[in-house]
Amino acid sequence: SDSGSDSEDSSLSDSELQEAFARGALKPGLNVVLEERPKRRNDTDGLKQCLAEFRQQLTWVERLDVTLGPVTDPVSQSASTSDAVDPENDFQREMSFYRQAQAAVLEALPRLRKLHVPTRRPDDYFAEMAKSDQQMQKIRQKLKSKQEAMERSEKAKQLRAMRKYGKKVQVEILQKRQKEKKNMLNAVKKYQKGLSDKLDFLDEEQTSSQGNKKGNASQRTKKGPNAKRRYKNQKFGFGGKKKGSKWNTKESFNDVSSFQSKVAHNKGPGKGGRGGKGGKKALNKRPGKRARQKMKNRAR
Amino acid sequence: MAAKRKRGALAAGKAKRARSIPSAGEAVPEGGPREHSIPPPVSQGKWKNKERVLIFSSRGINFRTRHLMQDLRTLMPHSKGDTKMDRKDQLFVINEVCEMKNCNKCIFFEAKKKQDLYMWLSNTPQGPSAKFLVQNVHTLAELKMTGNCLRGSRPLLSFDPIFDRVPHYALLKELFIQIFSTPQYHPKSQPFVDHVFTFSITDERIWFRNYQIIEEDASLVEIGPRFVLNLIKIFQGSFGGPTLYENPHYQSPNMHRRLIRLSVAAKFREKQQVKEVQKIKKKGTKVLVEEDPTEVVFETPAEEKPVEIQLVKPESKPIVKDKKKLRKIQRKKQKKLFRTEG
Repeated sequence: SDSGSDSEDSSLSDSELQEAFARGALKPGLNVVLEERPKRRNDTDGLKQCLAEFRQQLTWVERLDVTLGPVTDPVSQSASTSDAVDPENDFQREMSFYRQAQAAVLEALPRLRKLHVPTRRPDDYFAEMAKSDQQMQKIRQKLKSKQEAMERSEKAKQLRAMRKYGKKVQVEILQKRQKEKKNMLNAVKKYQKGLSDKLDFLDEEQTSSQGNKKGNASQRTKKGPNAKRRYKNQKFGFGGKKKGSKWNTKESFNDVSSFQSKVAHNKGPGKGGRGGKGGKKALNKRPGKRARQKMKNRAR
Repeated sequence: MAAKRKRGALAAGKAKRARSIPSAGEAVPEGGPREHSIPPPVSQGKWKNKERVLIFSSRGINFRTRHLMQDLRTLMPHSKGDTKMDRKDQLFVINEVCEMKNCNKCIFFEAKKKQDLYMWLSNTPQGPSAKFLVQNVHTLAELKMTGNCLRGSRPLLSFDPIFDRVPHYALLKELFIQIFSTPQYHPKSQPFVDHVFTFSITDERIWFRNYQIIEEDASLVEIGPRFVLNLIKIFQGSFGGPTLYENPHYQSPNMHRRLIRLSVAAKFREKQQVKEVQKIKKKGTKVLVEEDPTEVVFETPAEEKPVEIQLVKPESKPIVKDKKKLRKIQRKKQKKLFRTEG
């Protein structure tokens, strides 16, 4: 039971320890007497008495003390969350001190005014200040240099952004010009080829109307070149085959609209249909050379 | 560099003070039309509240503490300075010093180990007094403190409401008020109230700030100085006497440093222990295998050869350049024989 306690406190005799153990106050095992921590002195009565003796009966004007909590900020959320300010959060802490001072000032200034104690220094009252003029100059210099540095960095950022934007705008303008030039040349070529006998392109107005301005001859102009020819003209310009016209582009590669499942899997009725009907009208059969020439002449 | 600055500042301060005192006394009240008229000079009022504070320090303070003391003396026109006290003297000597200087309050700065700063605030003849640990000192001269106030103007004192709730804080509040508030109509004071001292309680410590009042709508700018007071004890008498209050949250800086060192040492020791345990694990336990008697049954030791000692150098072998040549010759011989036979 009490193995190590015989060497411990001599104030507790063995019999007393046995009694305590019987009561259940001691548990089996090694029991060590803990040194009682000296209680921190808090003599409330003494403090109050001392305060009563020490207090001076002075008018408020002599003491100028205000005991108020901080001004509740309508903007901040800290007032709602907790009263205790987190001491590690520097900004919050300093703001609470600031607001406490503000509350005190707001309360005290009217009182002082009533007591005819001046709080505002008139502009021509020159007297010695707590910090010398030299010190204030230094402070002003530091603030100015900080502000200048900030402005400089802001300007640099803006310049960088502007340069990027300017470059973008320049590229856009160049592209637009090139497009216009291309369209103009196409219109001229069209006129030269006789497909459109209007000199509208000189007016620099690209009207995309196709329904309104059709005259007698234009009934046939719609059918002039083939849709495929027109598409290729629009894409590659006039003048016939150019290098790479049969090459794939990204869009044409990704374009699967011309995929016919039945044709691809050889299941369509096309073959059988054609064979059965005897080739009445083949799909997209190209007219012969003579027919084509006729069509072309008619268009002119 | 700091010494030069101090001398220059003091000299300028003294010269200016000499000039300003007559100016404060002779300030002529301007005529009626001005909104904020210059108040009547201070000497016209009766100076009743005779508080005088003695601000001095022990030896071994560093530059920051010295500047803090200077700043306090600048802000409190009812203060007096004194030379450094030798640490060999006991604390109650301070009471006599104060009496000699005719001061009834005292702020005494004590520096220990050139690291820790303690501050005593005391009401000299009868008490009470309080001892604090000062931390986070920032002086007037710091460039981040942009405000300014009249030298000798009276401060407004602002306290946290916690000061009224607990008796020891109430006593401290009274002590602060009596020490820090400038008496009205003090000859070195300015009649304006243009700055405010803030005493707040956060994290079981007292934080001191000094703000300048710019506008009537309570916009403030910090002037400085600023420090944090950690209460250690309150005594009933001045620099002695029975302890009225002891701060349970106070941890002496030595203890603090010791704990840090211990924690670092403990971490290191733990790492070592972990390393040792890993080493032991790696080695593993060696299994002891018993000797098997049946293994040695078939072992027959070889016959012992007689020890031959060579006395004569053996003949050197003939150097054969071409090993195959010997074989070739042999083969040719055999062929010859074969031919002759067959």
